[in-house]
Amino acid sequence: TTDNQNHPPIFELKAELNSDKKEKKKEAVKKVIASMTVGKDVSALFPDVVNCMQTDNLELKKLVYLYLMNYAKSQPDMAIMAVNTFVKDCEDPNPLIRALAVRTMGCIRVDKITEYLCEPLRKCLKDEDPYVRKTAAVCVAKLHDINAQLVEDQGFLDTLKDLISDSNPMVVANAVAALSEIAESHPNSNLLDLNPQTINKLLTALNECTEWGQIFILDCLANYTPRDDRESQSICERVTPRLSHANSAVVLSAVKVLMKFMEMLPKDLDYYGTLLKKLAPPLVTLLSAEPELQYVALRNINLIVQRRPEILKHEMKVFFVKYNDPIYVKLEKLDIMIRLASQANIAQVLAELKEYATEVDVDFVRKAVRAIGRCAIKVEQSAERCVSTLLDLIQTKVNYVVQEAIVVIKDIFRKYPNKYESVIATLCENLDSLDEPEARAAMIWIVGEYAERIDNADELLESFLEGFHDESTQVQLQLLTAIVKLFLKKPTETQELVQQVLSLATQDSDNPDLRDRGYIYWRLLSTDPVAAKEVVLAEKPLISEETDLIEPTLLEELICHIGTLASVYHKPPSAFVEGSRGVQHKRIPGNLGSGESVESPDNGSAAGVTEAPPAVIPSQGDLLGDLLNLDLTPPTTTGPPPISSGMQMGAMDLLGGGLDSLVGLRHNTERSFRSPSPPDYSPTEVGPGGHMGAGFGAPPAVMPASFNAPVSVGLDDLFDLGGGVGMPMGAFNPPKTVWLPAMKAKGLEISGTFVRRAGVIQMEMNLTNKAMSVMTDFAIQFNRNSFGLASAGPLQILTPLSPNQSIEAALPLSTVGPVMKMEPLNNLQVAVKNNIDVFYFSCQYPISMLFVEDGKMERQVFLATWKDIPNDNESQFQIKDCHLNSDAASNKLQSSNIFTIAKRTVEGQDMLYQSMKLTNGIWVLAELRVQAGNPNYTTILKSKQRITSLIIIHTVSERPFCTNWNLICYIL
Amino acid sequence: MISQVFILSSQGDHLIYKDFRGEAGSDVVSVFYEKVTALTGDQPPVVMSHGDLHFVHVRQGGLYWVATTTSPGSSPFTIIEFLNRFSALVKDYCGSLSEKSVQMNFALIYELLDEVVDYGYIQTTSSDVLKNFIQTEAVSSKPFSLFDLSNVGFFGAETQQSKVAPSSAASRPIQSSRESEIFLDVIERMSVVIGSKGVVLKADVEGEVRVKCFMPSCSEMRIGLNEEFSIGKSQLRGYGAAVRVDECRFHQNVHLDEFHSNRVLRLCPSQGEQTVMQYQLSDDLPSAPPFRLFPTIERDSGGRLLMYLKLRCDLPSKRFVVISALSQELSSPDQSAELKLQNRAIDWKIPRFIGGTQLSALFKLEVSGLSPSSLMEVGPVVLVFELPQLTVSGLQIRFLRLSPVQPAPSQRWIRYVTHSDSYILRL
Repeated sequence: TTDNQNHPPIFELKAELNSDKKEKKKEAVKKVIASMTVGKDVSALFPDVVNCMQTDNLELKKLVYLYLMNYAKSQPDMAIMAVNTFVKDCEDPNPLIRALAVRTMGCIRVDKITEYLCEPLRKCLKDEDPYVRKTAAVCVAKLHDINAQLVEDQGFLDTLKDLISDSNPMVVANAVAALSEIAESHPNSNLLDLNPQTINKLLTALNECTEWGQIFILDCLANYTPRDDRESQSICERVTPRLSHANSAVVLSAVKVLMKFMEMLPKDLDYYGTLLKKLAPPLVTLLSAEPELQYVALRNINLIVQRRPEILKHEMKVFFVKYNDPIYVKLEKLDIMIRLASQANIAQVLAELKEYATEVDVDFVRKAVRAIGRCAIKVEQSAERCVSTLLDLIQTKVNYVVQEAIVVIKDIFRKYPNKYESVIATLCENLDSLDEPEARAAMIWIVGEYAERIDNADELLESFLEGFHDESTQVQLQLLTAIVKLFLKKPTETQELVQQVLSLATQDSDNPDLRDRGYIYWRLLSTDPVAAKEVVLAEKPLISEETDLIEPTLLEELICHIGTLASVYHKPPSAFVEGSRGVQHKRIPGNLGSGESVESPDNGSAAGVTEAPPAVIPSQGDLLGDLLNLDLTPPTTTGPPPISSGMQMGAMDLLGGGLDSLVGLRHNTERSFRSPSPPDYSPTEVGPGGHMGAGFGAPPAVMPASFNAPVSVGLDDLFDLGGGVGMPMGAFNPPKTVWLPAMKAKGLEISGTFVRRAGVIQMEMNLTNKAMSVMTDFAIQFNRNSFGLASAGPLQILTPLSPNQSIEAALPLSTVGPVMKMEPLNNLQVAVKNNIDVFYFSCQYPISMLFVEDGKMERQVFLATWKDIPNDNESQFQIKDCHLNSDAASNKLQSSNIFTIAKRTVEGQDMLYQSMKLTNGIWVLAELRVQAGNPNYTTILKSKQRITSLIIIHTVSERPFCTNWNLICYIL
Repeated sequence: MISQVFILSSQGDHLIYKDFRGEAGSDVVSVFYEKVTALTGDQPPVVMSHGDLHFVHVRQGGLYWVATTTSPGSSPFTIIEFLNRFSALVKDYCGSLSEKSVQMNFALIYELLDEVVDYGYIQTTSSDVLKNFIQTEAVSSKPFSLFDLSNVGFFGAETQQSKVAPSSAASRPIQSSRESEIFLDVIERMSVVIGSKGVVLKADVEGEVRVKCFMPSCSEMRIGLNEEFSIGKSQLRGYGAAVRVDECRFHQNVHLDEFHSNRVLRLCPSQGEQTVMQYQLSDDLPSAPPFRLFPTIERDSGGRLLMYLKLRCDLPSKRFVVISALSQELSSPDQSAELKLQNRAIDWKIPRFIGGTQLSALFKLEVSGLSPSSLMEVGPVVLVFELPQLTVSGLQIRFLRLSPVQPAPSQRWIRYVTHSDSYILRL
């Protein structure tokens, strides 16, 4: 019955609406709206309600308009009935009614109405009353959304632009808001033509308009890019007073403008320091608001702290959690505490974290324990205290605290190896209580890593092995690695154990990662235990001190979105907006002032530790652990070598060869290898080789029978190397390919190739700066590699590399560096350093680089050698689709230092005998058979080296318009 | 840009629904309610998304105040701030915030919404501006009478005339009032952490001066603060007991020309409630924190956990305090204590605590598997209290004058209160 009272049936309402009494009418319309609100369909009353529109009573008129806005769309024909009243109301002497009419008309999203709207709107935009003008300004945006063409044709956009110079700040603010929105849907238009004059107008209006208007204006300012640091400073000066505004949304919008424009100010400017100081108090004040606002503020502060930790470095205390903070606020505060932790405040922070670790909320406690570990890693001086705090916590025996502590202690071991092993005994006591995969994996890692110091390591690991198949993959992988480590350290007692785990991993598991890792260990152990030791027990890179930092280019973008949804989600708008509407990538303007880098100057101070961008774990799987340990101090730099970055647990001790080769390996194990072909193999009997050729689907390989560890290369990568436009008569120079993509190297992109010029091997690179800051101090270094390639001089990049600039660099290489067999053979692992970080990549050079100029063998010697080389050292394959005659082929090959010693023709088939010599003195002999009219060549390669049987596949192929020379080499 | 605004009751009933941009249907209201009720405790409720639509909401008066937006450039901060202001406006206009008052005044609220937001652009939330536009009169659920003494709350408010107004006196629609009344509250919140050795690790105070004005047109109000009031560390005025704050923010309508010389705030208050001044003070409180704890925690021979807590109130005597402390023989009969297993806490309630006195309690807990290290797990004691007629910072209102002097007699009420925000005593 109550429901009936509030929402009477339609027929009753209809009667009341048609009543003669004004009061009754008004009450009836109210009831209609009440029904509308709860979702009842009262559209049937449309004519009756519209009939009430002609009234002097403003209250009633407003109610009718409210109804119209809701139902006009569903009743477009009826809506036309209302048009006349609207047009009349737009001329009413009362500005409130004029504004009301123009506001409501814009909300009636019916196309037919728009044509009637234009004239009244034009008048209202020039109305004498600012309230009407500001309403009309908004109406232009409404109309634009319904019919953009109409708005342009009618010239409303120009009128709107004029309103930016209006005398009333509220009109300015709404014009700015409307223009900003319209401009978003025309990204390339010059609608919001921001220039120093308009900016000045906006700044003037800023001081006078309402708080909400200030937000529109500040957000608009944030899109402007000042011409120079002087203009930037003057805008900052005029925006700064907004920081003390009582409305925190105004404060945050001002912070956004300042954070963005600060980037352009030279750091040595006094004003820069002043500005930094001014930013702290308002940010702190934001935290005294309601939890919802606090949360949004904290998400933003988290970004600000990552970008400019110096702003809040003295404000640690405000981030201490209160017991009554909601959990989501607590977690955010904790995150910021760690980011701000430094030597100066670490004692305070640790005391807090220890308290938090005894709280009730499990998630919070876990994060607090983890935070203690992060402190230890971040602030070296505190590591010891952190470890003892963690041990105290382990003593509480609270299950999740213990597990969390063990996970972080593992990380501490990674950062400070051989320092805190004394705690291992305590950890081992808690082995049985660990039921979470991460904690189990961490514990197993610790046991494996320190197996030699744990007397019963084998028993401990064996206990885990019982339920091997029930463990998560993470634990299984760790267990496999740990037992292999144990075996390498204590081979005598643990043979059975290692056999067991290898067979569990390889034979009984469906998980390819586990199986592959198992096979690799198995083969390593069975072929070369010494190498296995080198690989598995290699010294591990230290882990970086900051984890879960936002990637710098994303951070830059997010800084431009301070206060918006993006800053709460910590995702760029493109990540959560479907379609392209309104998505614009924003960038921080570069420093135009002094060409200085963005990094903060005060290194050495406590906060300096966090200012240097931390090394990010390289995600490429093909890096050797010890590449990371290279000393990267080139002659041009003076600073200490950068702290090397870390890798995820487990990935690093998984083999030098890296994961790429694993892929190849799996192919090969399933392939049968054909036996070596005799030198006089006739072309018609090529047989299995026939299906090979340019596709490289299945490379032929020669396998000594005793050797059962197949090795292969990532063929696809190699194929890329040669897949370019050839130079008809020059040496084979592959085109430049991208070695290091910008996204993996904080904006530095390196592409390159190798050439041999006048006997000198050169690495030719193109370095492109795709970041927003200047890059300097470049240096390069190679890991040990198969042919001892090393840089013969420093990397000559003398000028700083500005954003969006590219530079070419040629690095002469020598072949006298340390040698280590790589997989694939021509793989080269490179570390490049700049002022930002050290980056690692690997690339492959064409073997033809290594063919020396004096590779032409004496005829007699050739003949003797050819006969000398046993058949085992020989391989044969086919080159497809090569349309050169033998002489042309010979010429081409010669330009790559492959020399033809002799030629003979047998039954229409040309046979070229060729020799080449590698930089390390190894000779390779070849026989190339070319039959006229047959585009497929056959090559036989031989090398004298007995220890390693050398096979060079050497492909000559020609297509109608280009020539490809691919030289690929395998050594088994 | 705000796309829609709606108000839901705690049961999810639609009270108010307004669509500004036609970007989404009204069906999202129920989507929101499903989402918000499905949240677990550790998920931040502030911003939730549903496809392209993002919900931002606050809770005020037991209601959900929700705004939706589709534009990625929208600032949740602005929207939250707006929703808070909007709910304050509704409170001002309707007298109080409840499901009933919103339901009864829906026409008024729609009218307000129409003026405060146009096409998703926030226009104004100032009652001064709005009074020119708003036509609908508020409907009050029960007529208010100053003489309705059954409404007198626990705290009285002292004024120069030593009269007491009920604490609910300020809860009525601003338009309805015929009396020219002004209420001024000085509210402070304390965050204190006292270490196990009794050292004050942190002591912060956040305060605000709030004015609720029922005068339809108030020309000018002058609020006099303590003359020795100072801002910042260096700037000390006068001798002895200076009142000092670190940071101070004022409402944009406040004129500060007399502030620097005489510590007088001048403003023309809008009708309704406004925060005139906000301030904060950290670490350097003028007096010692009001409560001290002397705990003894040990294991008895029977393996039970013994907690002997002595709580001392260091306020000047004859002050009453309402406390409920965490963390049982109680030394006074009207106290109570309860063990809350879910929170692993003991709730010790002390209805009144007289300044300068001391209370003690002994709690014995049977804990299975009590080990020496379990003692480490006994967490901090948290105090929740309200101190009436007291500001920790020492801020006082010297006078509250209206100029020119109002023709009709006006009532001015001043009230001081300090709440605990987070008062932690570590063990």
